[in-house]
Order: sequence, then structure tokens, then C-alpha cells
Amino acid sequence: MASEDARYRETSQFEAWSFSPAQLAAMREKTNVLARQRIAERMLASASNLPTSNNTSKANTPDPSGNGTPNPNENGAPTLPDFLKSEEEALLVSFYVSELLRAADHLGVPDEVRATATVFFRRFFLTNSIMTYPPQEMILVALFVGSKAEGRFPRIIEFQQKFNTKQDILAGEFLLCQGNRFNFEVRHPFRALMGAMMELRSYGDIDEQRIIAAEKRAHEILLFSPLMTDAYFHYTPSQIMFAALSLADRGLAERLIQETFHFVPPTTNNDNTPAQTPLPGSENSGLARKDGGGKGQMTNDERAAIIGTGIRDKVMGTIEACRTMLSNELPERKSHWTSESIFKSQIRPVRKKLTKCRDPDRWNLSELQRQRREQGLRRDDSEERAAASKGSKDAALFGGDLAAGAPEKKRRKVDGNGQEDPFGGPL
Amino acid sequence: MARPLDPLGFEDEMCPVCKSRKYLNPDIVFVFNPECYHSMCLNCANRLFNDGPNQCPHAGCNKTLRRKGFRSAFFGDLSVEREVDIRRRVAAVFNQKEDDFETLQDYNNYLQMVEDLAFELVNGSDEKRRQAEAQLAAWEAEHRQDIERNKKAGREADEMSRKRLAAERDAARQRRIEAIKEAEEEKRERVRSREMELDNLAKGITTAAEPATKVQLKRRGQRGGITEPAAPNPAAAAVAGMGASEVERLSIRGLKEKPKAPAPQGPYDPFGGMDFAPSRYKLHVGLAHPLMEKYRLDRQHVAGGYSFDDFAARALYEAFAGLGVFVEDEKEVGNGNGLSQAGEMVAAADDPDRMDLD
Repeated sequence: MASEDARYRETSQFEAWSFSPAQLAAMREKTNVLARQRIAERMLASASNLPTSNNTSKANTPDPSGNGTPNPNENGAPTLPDFLKSEEEALLVSFYVSELLRAADHLGVPDEVRATATVFFRRFFLTNSIMTYPPQEMILVALFVGSKAEGRFPRIIEFQQKFNTKQDILAGEFLLCQGNRFNFEVRHPFRALMGAMMELRSYGDIDEQRIIAAEKRAHEILLFSPLMTDAYFHYTPSQIMFAALSLADRGLAERLIQETFHFVPPTTNNDNTPAQTPLPGSENSGLARKDGGGKGQMTNDERAAIIGTGIRDKVMGTIEACRTMLSNELPERKSHWTSESIFKSQIRPVRKKLTKCRDPDRWNLSELQRQRREQGLRRDDSEERAAASKGSKDAALFGGDLAAGAPEKKRRKVDGNGQEDPFGGPL
Repeated sequence: MARPLDPLGFEDEMCPVCKSRKYLNPDIVFVFNPECYHSMCLNCANRLFNDGPNQCPHAGCNKTLRRKGFRSAFFGDLSVEREVDIRRRVAAVFNQKEDDFETLQDYNNYLQMVEDLAFELVNGSDEKRRQAEAQLAAWEAEHRQDIERNKKAGREADEMSRKRLAAERDAARQRRIEAIKEAEEEKRERVRSREMELDNLAKGITTAAEPATKVQLKRRGQRGGITEPAAPNPAAAAVAGMGASEVERLSIRGLKEKPKAPAPQGPYDPFGGMDFAPSRYKLHVGLAHPLMEKYRLDRQHVAGGYSFDDFAARALYEAFAGLGVFVEDEKEVGNGNGLSQAGEMVAAADDPDRMDLD
């Protein structure tokens, strides 16, 4: 096994966030089904408990046409809305990714931040439904967290000035990190592209202008196509890079692959004998294993497994598949996502549907955070109350002087909830 | 012991060679050679053996002795001297410690075996003695390394305890000196404060009590600080040394099989044996990219020690890392991260209780 591949296999990107297409589809389907169940439960619960919550949730939603909870009909039993299908969810995620890229352009963030934010966003909505959490806000959260993950620490004020929101971003931060399983390192193909260009230049027989043009185009593709597709889930950064390079200049990509996987086993090869003598090809091509690399000579089999023609064909096949995926979303499609007509015909109907079926409890991030905090506070409160009531019992036993020693805060809390305290007010 | 007292030394040993006695020659010194344990006076030994090896002058003894081998006896009884010599030799070869055995029973069996051997060497018949001698030699040849190691460990332990004793002595001396100094200081201080008090009284200021207590406090603080640091170090080092030196293995029954960790391990590898040598590409000298060029002249980068080669290495690594990783194949079959696990991941993320209790 090639040492580079072994190192890549250690990354969280491979361990936790690489899936086959079938797995990815299954996950999306499951996310969708679970979200339907939960949202239906919550809608029913909120409709039966708090019929008036309709107004408050309407006031908090950004879209004025939004109607957070289903209307209870005359009998008081709410009707469940039409939920989004997982394909519709995927379409919306793609649309919001294009929005994210626009927002990134607006902010003027570097390439890595832009890509990391996108990957965070995609990963988050892989295990969370777009009906559960608001994508519009999560875009900004992803940009904010993505900047931090890439070592740039923007001030929230900047975001507030540019996007006019602050509370939701801060409220969604932890949520996004949770949804990403706290895997903050995302491997990108940008530096890989520079490495490939260095390698191509070192061959010495390729026209400089051609290299520059190819790099420019490939970089352009990398900034859009892999982000708009599921490439980061299915392929490794180097494969994505080779695919982009191949889209930019097929000849260069193939040349690089051919030079890398150059190893041809000698014709007199006996499967049992390790190649003790240096192979003729490896010395000249300069792509062989670096000298002094620890393990000494490899056998022919090992070399064939790493840089042989068999693996070359497989790599070529994978790159070709990635290339096909990327070619669906070339940078020229940018206008597709921003065009008014497309938006009207494809996006808007789904978005309308979304406003009807979204999660009543989780749609508003700040509200959600506030509720969670209250929940936590209530928990603390009940613990404290238990402690305080114990204190008052002690006070009764010992003549009342103990209560004076209890902290002021605790007493105030007991006062506030006096009528609920099973042990009555303080002495 | 059984011999009667004999103040004049008539019953004293007599040199069997020159027949002189202690009575006649008060300065006589008896020596013997451990080859045959026949004693004679120093004069005779010098006379007979100064010119090289010679036969033992005792009647019936045909051992060839050398001058070098003669020494004076520590014990009056030469048979005791001989037994001690033999036991010393045996102990040098069979030098296992109790810690080397798994059970006390094993250790005792071992001691019994050693004692039998020693007894045969000392008191056995010629036949038995020869046999025991052969056994001892065989054992020694066979386990030379272990014996050497134990010997070394013993020496180290001796050294260590010697050092510890020296350190303790040193520390004690140090403490004594400190105490003397302190006492002197105190005396001087008392005189000074007395003078100050008198001065103050003369001037009419009445804050005499304060400086005296201050001095007292300071002294106590000093005393607390001094004695601690020197003492514990050598002792701890000695203990650690003992622990480290207990490495040995012998094929005696019941001997502990200790995990021998230390020797060939080499330095700690933080990356768990991961190979960092590239296997698909080679790092050429002079890999370059136009975007790097402007930084080569940028003083802020160069002065900070920015390594352009490292950047090139990283870029090349990223270009080729994972090229042979086929996500679709590997995730579907291997790695235990199949569809079901992906499903669990979704379920975990969607579980509302888990989210609420963050």
C-alpha cells in the first residue's frame, strides 16, 4: 500500500465522511424519513398544546409568506402538510450551496474557507434534514465556522454588517459542529493542484503557457464543480484534482498519470524473487520511491501494486467517473443557479412546499437556543430547589439561623417559585 | 576452639618446611596456597617459589605451586578458609536472587541444590568432588552471560548504596554546618537587636518588640527551606537503579519470565510506524510554482525560516495522496463502515433527546 494512501486513510474525511453513492442515497433517504416522523410528531404536539403558537412562529420566520405550523381545522385536529421528498431536499441543498458560494464571493473569503464552508454545509444536511433546520441561516453559520476551521477568525460584526444577522449565526455554531461530528479538517484539492503543476513543470518539455492555462481553468473548476456536487463524499482530493485537470487539459492529466504509474514488471519476472537490482525504469523516470525511505527495496509485486499499470487503469477509471460528475456542474452553470427563470420554475415551488412542512420547534435557531438554555436552567433550578428545600428543613431543625447563611441567589429563586415549592416558603 | 589455651605458643603452628615456630621467631607469618591449602612460613614460600613454579614441599603433595598464589589466612583453621573460598566461588556462579523466582518454594529448591553442590565440593569424596566441579564448570560456561549480568547488577546495587550512604553523610554534614551557621547568626542577631533596643530606648522610641519577632520568624523560615532538597535525590535514584537492574533469566525451574522491555526498542515513534517516504513520486530539487516565487524575495517569509521545500513536499503529497483510495469499493465492503453504520449515523444525528441534552 502506498504510504500516501495510508496517510490519507487516517483522515476523518475518509474515516467518517466518505461514502459510496448507494450509502449516500440511503443516508439521505433515512434522514428524510426520520425528519418526517419527528416533524409530524412535533406539529401534532404543538397544535394540540399551544394553538396560539401560530402567531409567534410567524413573527419569527424570515419569509413573510411562511406559515410555520399547520392550520388546525375546525375540529382542532391539524392536517399534516406535504413533506419534501429526498430528491427535492437534494435539489434545495444544491441551490443553497450555490447561495453559499455567492455569499462567500460577497464576503471575499479565500478559496479554502469557501470550500470548507461548503463541505460543512453539505455534511450538516446529510444527517439533518433541510426541513428541520433553516438552510438560509446555516449558510452563514457554515461560512463563519468554516473561516475559523481554516485559521481565519472573522469578527461576527463583519457578518452582521454584510448579512444583517448575528444572533442566528452564533446560535447555530454549535449545532453545525455537532452535525459535522466535530471533524473540522477538510482536505482540499487546491494545494494538490499546485503540486501537480510543480510535477508537470519538472518534466521540462511542456509549454509553460499550456500549464498556466490549464491551472487557471482547473482552479476555476475546483472552486465550483466539486462543491456543487457530491464529489467530496465520493472521491479523494487528489482524484478530484486530477478530474478537474482532465477537464481543463486532458492531455496533461493523462501525461501525469502515465508518468506516475509507469511501472512495468520485467518480462523475466519470477513471482517469488524480489527485485534486488534497481529496475531500469525506476532510475530514469525519477518517479520511483525516494531513496533512504526506510524499508529499502520493494518487491516487484509491491511496486506493481503502487505504481503498476493495473492500478493505473483503476485510477483512470475513478478519475473518469469523477470527471463525469464534475462536468455536470461546470463553472458555466453558475448562471443556471442564479437565473430568475430557473429559480421561478424549479426552486420556488419546492421552497413554498418547504415553508409549509418545516419543523416548528427548530426552524428558528435563536429561539431554539433560548429554549435549550431555559431547559438547562430549569434543570439546574430544580436541583437547586431541592438543595434549598433541604436547607430550609435543616433551618427548621436548628432554629432558623442556617437559612441566613444560604447564598442570596438561592433564596431569591426559592422566593420566586414559592407557591410551587412543596415545602413552602422559607422560614 | 577445642585447642587448650597456650600463652607461650608452644602448641603454635610450626612451619613444616623449616620447622621454625612462633616462639622462636615472633615475626613469623604463615601463608598457604589455595591449590592445596598446605601452609608454610613466608620465608620458605619466598625461598622455594621465587624462582618460579615449584612442587609443594609437603610430603605426598605433588601440586605445582606459584609464588603468586600464596596468601595469608583469614581464619586460623585452613579447612574453614578452604570452605569459604569454595563457597565464594559457588556463590559467584549461582548468583540468582529471590526476586528472580516465581515462588518461594522454587527459590528454596534452588538454594538446596546450590548447597548440595557446595557441600560436595567441600566435604565430598574425590569422585563426588570431581563430579560437582564438572557441574559447576558446565553451568558457568552455559550461563556466562546471565552470571555476568547478575554480577554487574550486584556491583551496581553496591555502588548505589555506597553513593546513597555518601550522600546521606554529606547531607548530614551540610545540616550540621547550617545549624552552626544559624546559631551564630542568631547570636549575632540577638546582639544586634539588643543594641537596637538600647538605642531606641536612648532615643525614646518604644517599638522594641517588633524587630525581635521578625528575626525569629525569618530564621524559622530558613530552617524549613534548607534541609529538604539534598537528601531525597540519591535515595530515589538508588531505588530506581535497583528496579532497573533486575533483569535476568535462567533456566532454573520456577524462574520468573520477566518481560524484557527496554533494550532494542529504539526511539518512540509518535506516528505509530507510518511511513512518510513518498512511494508514488519523488521530490526533485527545485520544484517551483509561480505563486511561490514572489515569496522567495519576501523578507517576512524568508526571515521567519519559511521552507519552500516543505511547501513543495506538502503540495506534492496532497497531489498524490489518496489517488489509490477507491472510496466506493472500500466503503461498501471493507472497513466495517457499511450501509448500516451510515444509517446509525443519521439516526444518531436525528435523535432529538441526544441533541437536547448537549
